[in-house]
Amino acid sequence: MADYPQSLQAKLIRFGIYAVLVLMALWYLAPLYVMLSTSFKTLDEIRAGNLLSLPGTFSLDAWSAAWSSACTGVECGGMKRYFANSLTMMIPAVLISTLVGAFNGYILSMWRFKGSDMFFMALLIGTFLPFQVVILPMAQVLGWLELENSTGRLVLVHVIYGLQFTTLFFRNYYVTVPGELVKAARIDGAGFFRIFFKILLPISVPTIMVCLIWQTTQIWNDYLFGVVFSSGEGQPMTVALNNLVNTSTGVKQYNVDMAAAIIAALPTLLVYMVGGKYFVRGLTAGAVKG
Amino acid sequence: MGALSIRNVKKSFGNTHILKGIDLEIEKGQFLILVGPSGCGKSTLLNMIAGLDDITSGEIAIGDRVVNKLSPKDRDIAMVFQSYALYPNMTVRKNIAFGLDIRKVPKPEQEEIIARVAKTLQIEHLLDRKPLQLSGGQRQRVAMGRALARNPTLFLFDEPLSNLDAKLRVEMRSEIKLLHQRLGTTIVYVTHDQIEAMTLGDRIAVMKDGEVRQFGSPQQIYDAPADLYVAGFIGSPSMNFIPVQLREEDGHAVVDLDNGRAVQAVKLSPISDSQRAFVGKQVVLGIRPEQLTDPESAHSERGNLQTLQATVAITEPTGPDTLVTVTFNGIKTVARCHPRAAGAPGQQVELTLDPTKALLFDPVSEKRLA
Repeated sequence: MADYPQSLQAKLIRFGIYAVLVLMALWYLAPLYVMLSTSFKTLDEIRAGNLLSLPGTFSLDAWSAAWSSACTGVECGGMKRYFANSLTMMIPAVLISTLVGAFNGYILSMWRFKGSDMFFMALLIGTFLPFQVVILPMAQVLGWLELENSTGRLVLVHVIYGLQFTTLFFRNYYVTVPGELVKAARIDGAGFFRIFFKILLPISVPTIMVCLIWQTTQIWNDYLFGVVFSSGEGQPMTVALNNLVNTSTGVKQYNVDMAAAIIAALPTLLVYMVGGKYFVRGLTAGAVKG
Repeated sequence: MGALSIRNVKKSFGNTHILKGIDLEIEKGQFLILVGPSGCGKSTLLNMIAGLDDITSGEIAIGDRVVNKLSPKDRDIAMVFQSYALYPNMTVRKNIAFGLDIRKVPKPEQEEIIARVAKTLQIEHLLDRKPLQLSGGQRQRVAMGRALARNPTLFLFDEPLSNLDAKLRVEMRSEIKLLHQRLGTTIVYVTHDQIEAMTLGDRIAVMKDGEVRQFGSPQQIYDAPADLYVAGFIGSPSMNFIPVQLREEDGHAVVDLDNGRAVQAVKLSPISDSQRAFVGKQVVLGIRPEQLTDPESAHSERGNLQTLQATVAITEPTGPDTLVTVTFNGIKTVARCHPRAAGAPGQQVELTLDPTKALLFDPVSEKRLA
């Protein structure tokens, strides 16, 4: 970048803009800083009272406690089991809802049937439904299905609740794909499934990434479905974290709470770092030419 | 039994009739053009031949097989699309091999076919590229290669040249013609471009509003169009239509042309029975621009050339000819003249008319009076 001679006034304005931006950034980073520094402090140091000070002794005790020995209610096994619960719930739920959403989108854009637009509209309405509305009927359905396993119940709930979003993403992408592509494949002899798996799915990478990120965030961060449809040892991370923080017996261990909260946030953070650029690209993906 | 027979084929969506009973038949090795304005049903008909659209009623036979109920892959056809429809995730090689793979052609044979097709179309150096890395013309070649690889009994082309620029379009047009002559395949080709239709076709079906207005060889359609629509659609610049009153003199049809200063009687061909019924009534005189020209350019071997005086309104040089617009009976009429004889706006010019080529149409039914 070439340096152009600037007037003093322009320099001042520039300085002002950067100052405001830096302040904003600090303001938003402050909670994360407090969480991180608190998680590395000992309880004594926390009780000393300075929220913003750096940890005097750099202690990982709180992290290991949060991971493997912290008590949620009467259980004292740390977060690791619930972290695993969340993973075993999230991974199948994300994959299934993405794949089925892609399949729905494929049918709704390339194999329209009588009433397919109505069907799509109905699905769209689903995206406006708040979680709370779904809880009671969902509980009823789960009862009928006699599904006992907490993780299984949550996978089903999240797949169903996520489908309208993933279907919407894929359908909106596939309507930009020329229909002649499917016609050409049909003449080449490819059937319904081969066209989907060999031609459409491979060109959907940006949309797949959008769905993965969207669904991962939604499912991992969900608390309401987790607290309603799971119980005891089958609870996901978010519910366990709440239990941990709200445990009312004994001394309040802020450092452990903070460490556990950061552990709970890590996976979504990771997904954004890895897939963030696809997210923007996928949301703005236009027609595929050629 | 022809290579392709279309018998009373109809297509309707509820009360909307897209195709109203199409009858066409071509022989093996013929190049059939379906031409017409957008919305005339030509692409729908092609999709029905391909099996991509259902047939409401009627029958389509490829060879001696009625294919109404067969799926596209069982019809032994290949199709080239306007948007090329190359699979974006596959290389050119894989694009060509895709259909062969599905048909379980053994790998060594696939390689052979790909090599042959690539050589025919000069795309050997492109085989490992993806479609996005190709230019429009190259994609067009690959799309044709994919069709050729299958060696089907029937090729279908859906406006394959519309996405190319003008120069490339002319090049590819003659390549398609060359390919057809070399391979002798049967082709159905959809276009809205009447020049493509004339240059490529053995047989042309001019379609409008879901009907075939005329089906014949390019020259038949050019020289003896069935009605005003076909006459106006084929040929560029298009045919002049001048309203005239028909008279009969010495067994010939005679019409009067008013150039704004004087009325000139023009003696046409010997009158036919269907024309005689219109004596004394209004008819439409159809003259192609090249049949109305300066005396120097007129084919002098023909006797009976009629000479007309007219005032030049506009001249449009095209290079080899100049299009001269004059007025007859209040209608702007285009004549194709030698540049030297074109005159200038406001000038009087002398034009000759070949009366044997002039056509007469019924203004109500729009049919040609044969």
